[in-house]
Amino acid sequence: MSKPADLLQGTLDLLLLKILALQPLNGFAISLRLKQVSGDVLQVSDGSLYPALHKLEQEGWISAEWKTTENNRRAKYYSLTRPGRKHLEKEADNWGRLAAAISHVVKLKET
Amino acid sequence: MRPERWIYKLPLRIRSLFDRRKADQELDEELRDHVEQKTRQYIAAGMNPQEARRAALLEMGGLERRKEECRDARQVTWLQDLLQDIHYGLRILRKSPGFTTIAILTLALGIGANTIIFSVVNAVMYRKPPMPEPDRVMVVSSASAVDSSNPDRVFSQLPASGPDYLDWRAQTSSFSEMAVADFDSFTISGDAIPERASGARVSPEFFNVLGVAPAFGRAILPGEDQPGHDQEVILSDELWRSKFGGDAHVLGRLIKINGNWCTVIGVMPPSFRAGSFIAKLWVPLVLPHAKLGATGRDDRSFRVFARLKPGINVRQASAEMATIAQRLGQAHPETNRGWGAGVMSLQQFSIADMNAGPPLAFLMSAVAFLLLIACANIANLLLARNSARQREFTVRGVLGAGRLRLARQLLTECLMLSFTGGILGILVGYGGLHAVLPQFNWNEDAVVLAKQVTIDDHVLGVTLAIIVVCSIMFGLAPALQFSRGDASHGLKEGGRGTTISRERHRVQRLLVAGQLALSLFLLVGASMFAGQFIQEMRANPGLNPRNMLTASISLRGPEYLQPQRQKSFYENALRRLAGSPGVQSAAVTSDMPFNFPDSLPFTVENHLVTKPGEQPACGHFAVSPGFFATTQIPLLQGREFTAADTADSPPVAIVNEAFARRYFPGENPIGRYIRIDPAHRSSEKWSEIIGVAGNVNEYLGQAQPRSAMFESFLARPRDSMYLMVRTRTDPAQFSDALRRAVWAEDGNQAVTDLRTMERVIADSSGGDDLLAELMGAFAATALLIAAIGIYGVLSYLVGQRTHEMGIRMALGATPGELLLLVIRNGMTLVVTGAAIGFLVSLSLPKLIAAGFNDFRFHGAWVIGLAPFVVIVVGLVACYIPARRAMKVDPMVALRYE
Repeated sequence: MSKPADLLQGTLDLLLLKILALQPLNGFAISLRLKQVSGDVLQVSDGSLYPALHKLEQEGWISAEWKTTENNRRAKYYSLTRPGRKHLEKEADNWGRLAAAISHVVKLKET
Repeated sequence: MRPERWIYKLPLRIRSLFDRRKADQELDEELRDHVEQKTRQYIAAGMNPQEARRAALLEMGGLERRKEECRDARQVTWLQDLLQDIHYGLRILRKSPGFTTIAILTLALGIGANTIIFSVVNAVMYRKPPMPEPDRVMVVSSASAVDSSNPDRVFSQLPASGPDYLDWRAQTSSFSEMAVADFDSFTISGDAIPERASGARVSPEFFNVLGVAPAFGRAILPGEDQPGHDQEVILSDELWRSKFGGDAHVLGRLIKINGNWCTVIGVMPPSFRAGSFIAKLWVPLVLPHAKLGATGRDDRSFRVFARLKPGINVRQASAEMATIAQRLGQAHPETNRGWGAGVMSLQQFSIADMNAGPPLAFLMSAVAFLLLIACANIANLLLARNSARQREFTVRGVLGAGRLRLARQLLTECLMLSFTGGILGILVGYGGLHAVLPQFNWNEDAVVLAKQVTIDDHVLGVTLAIIVVCSIMFGLAPALQFSRGDASHGLKEGGRGTTISRERHRVQRLLVAGQLALSLFLLVGASMFAGQFIQEMRANPGLNPRNMLTASISLRGPEYLQPQRQKSFYENALRRLAGSPGVQSAAVTSDMPFNFPDSLPFTVENHLVTKPGEQPACGHFAVSPGFFATTQIPLLQGREFTAADTADSPPVAIVNEAFARRYFPGENPIGRYIRIDPAHRSSEKWSEIIGVAGNVNEYLGQAQPRSAMFESFLARPRDSMYLMVRTRTDPAQFSDALRRAVWAEDGNQAVTDLRTMERVIADSSGGDDLLAELMGAFAATALLIAAIGIYGVLSYLVGQRTHEMGIRMALGATPGELLLLVIRNGMTLVVTGAAIGFLVSLSLPKLIAAGFNDFRFHGAWVIGLAPFVVIVVGLVACYIPARRAMKVDPMVALRYE
């Protein structure tokens, strides 16, 4: 599977939103979690992660809060907003349709 | 965008804007934290701490770059950056107050001058007459192919005659409506002081053609152009306010116009004007029978206005009118042969009428050059400053600022300078107009024009465009400069004297030389205008203008329709004046010298002319006995008119020297006969020439004297005359006494236009003095700015060479030698610039002569004077920094880097 950097920006956004839908996390934790739940297949590079997160925050789909972690350090936690959740549902739908269509085409019998 | 998303985003965006430092800190912390966590992860995986840290950092990439990308993702970047640029720019500009002040002041002067001139150009050329579809309002004029008194000129904007107008109106199909107007001056009396105002008698269609209705009241109705029904008047807004105090119930009130009581039926809106046709009141036009008959066709004194039909353009209308005129020429050959008809839009007509083209062209060029010089100055100063900031830029570049970003920073600084300079420039423009407009007073047209000159939207728009263009002009060059720069150069210690700075020095030198050349060019131009004007003023006017007061009287009123009454009025007035203490002598004349006189056709004995178009005509003056004694126009031969030369005695005439030379070459004109034919009638009697007078010009700066003839006004009385009174003391103090003397004769007559003869002569230059003044002011400013430019550049260059100066001194050079060195360097620049400017200005005499008909340039010395002035100014500008170089302490200089 190609590196996540080759994915369309929209796809990365979708992944990030979904991860945050499961649980509010900070940047580092998000990249770890994504790696984890995708079985090491999807890895987002540090360089792409933060600009994407900031853009999502700018669009208003996620919001950020500075919290103190277990180790008594300050960290910036992102969480999904209500408009973000709606956007996620919409994009997940689109993705599903897209994936099914691609699958269908790829599975066509060659003659 | 759905509302809740937009509102949600807003606090974020606003926070990004204002709490930037905090947001930056947070971003920094966030990224570092990530790197921390990753490092710990790698350490836990078994890497050693340094390696772990390095790996984590590598994966993040450049921290600053990531931060920039995150900021970009916020999309408020451009605004943030702009604010940051402005903030930064303000700091930089504040740090060098000298440069900033000079730059802003220079720009203010340059932009201000442009604003002033463009306001005038705007009022003359671009502002449309305030009426619906002004481009479809036409002036239809008569066009004559030949004017026998001036064979070189073709006149195509002449007035039309009554019968011609009626025929045109009947035969044309290009116009939806046509109207005729007779512009004249009217005497308004009935209350305290009678005064005179320009006005027009108009046909009922006049206001329809222009498309403007009175603000209140009504216009003229079709039936009212009959005698007996025409005692009504429409006032202009200005007249309404001055005569009736803006009374809202003015309709129906009475006002005495030319001795007749008229009812006010309407008031025009305040903005109303018809191009260059000045009128403060409008009355119905009643075409008198005399002007309608066969002879009336030759009396061309009416102006015809018409509105184009929809779908017809000017060319088609012109073609049609030309055909109609040709037809009339065949139908009435005695009056109309060789006459055409021209159609021009009202605005075009007004522009040509004012003959403002050439002076405006010169003034616009002058201020454009001035602005170029100002921009060159600022470009130079910026180049000097930027090389000092080289280190700053290099560091910023290394820190991640793209070249575009740095260029944007410089452009923002330039725009800030330009805008500040521009706003100040507009203020300078206001002040300048305030000072200059009152000098537009050489005739009524000029005064009216001055009232229309304002700084309106067009002018402000153009000023804005100038500001932007300026910033690009002087900002782009330095911005491009260092985008070719090499980073390492700037950071090396002692980095100066490199190839880059040598190139920059060359550009600076070029700019200075260019400035000087342009200044010289301007200076020569201004000197020529000034020289011409001074020459005109010092030329012998042909009479003695000192201690002479003049006034204009137009007798109005039913009792003055009789020539006898006109004559006795002036005789009595003259007698009264002659008897006044303080008066040496007094006279009346139909036209004053240095005013364009009426031309009348005449026939010289033994030179009978058969074809009507070939009859000569020249200036004609009806004067009182004692005219020549009062004005001190020399009588070269013969005698003056006396009280015995009346309508009942044999007709006599006096001619001037030019006339004698032209029509009686080599002979004595005394005793010969000419016949003055005002209406081409051969029934006039022959007048004997009894005297030859000296030549007097019709306007200031007239190159060739024109023929003129004089008759006694007792033989040919008129209603409008000029009083010329030679006083024993200051003529300006005599105004009241003059008025009293006239009013003692008839208190209802307006005495207007009281001017000393000297003022009359100056006014006849048509604003030449103002033109010379303005050109002079612009040239002087340009030279000053250029001088500041040289001084600035030289100071900078000398500063660059301080190190070298120290070495030279240590090696034994005296301060004097250093002084000479610097001055020599500077003067090479100055002399080069002056030489180029001089060569270019050799073309000026031809250029000016092409634009101004009567320009004779006698003062070749002026072209030599200008380079001298420029070199002296350049020398002074070089000397000051050179002196500073001289005072350098070698030890300090050697340590200077």
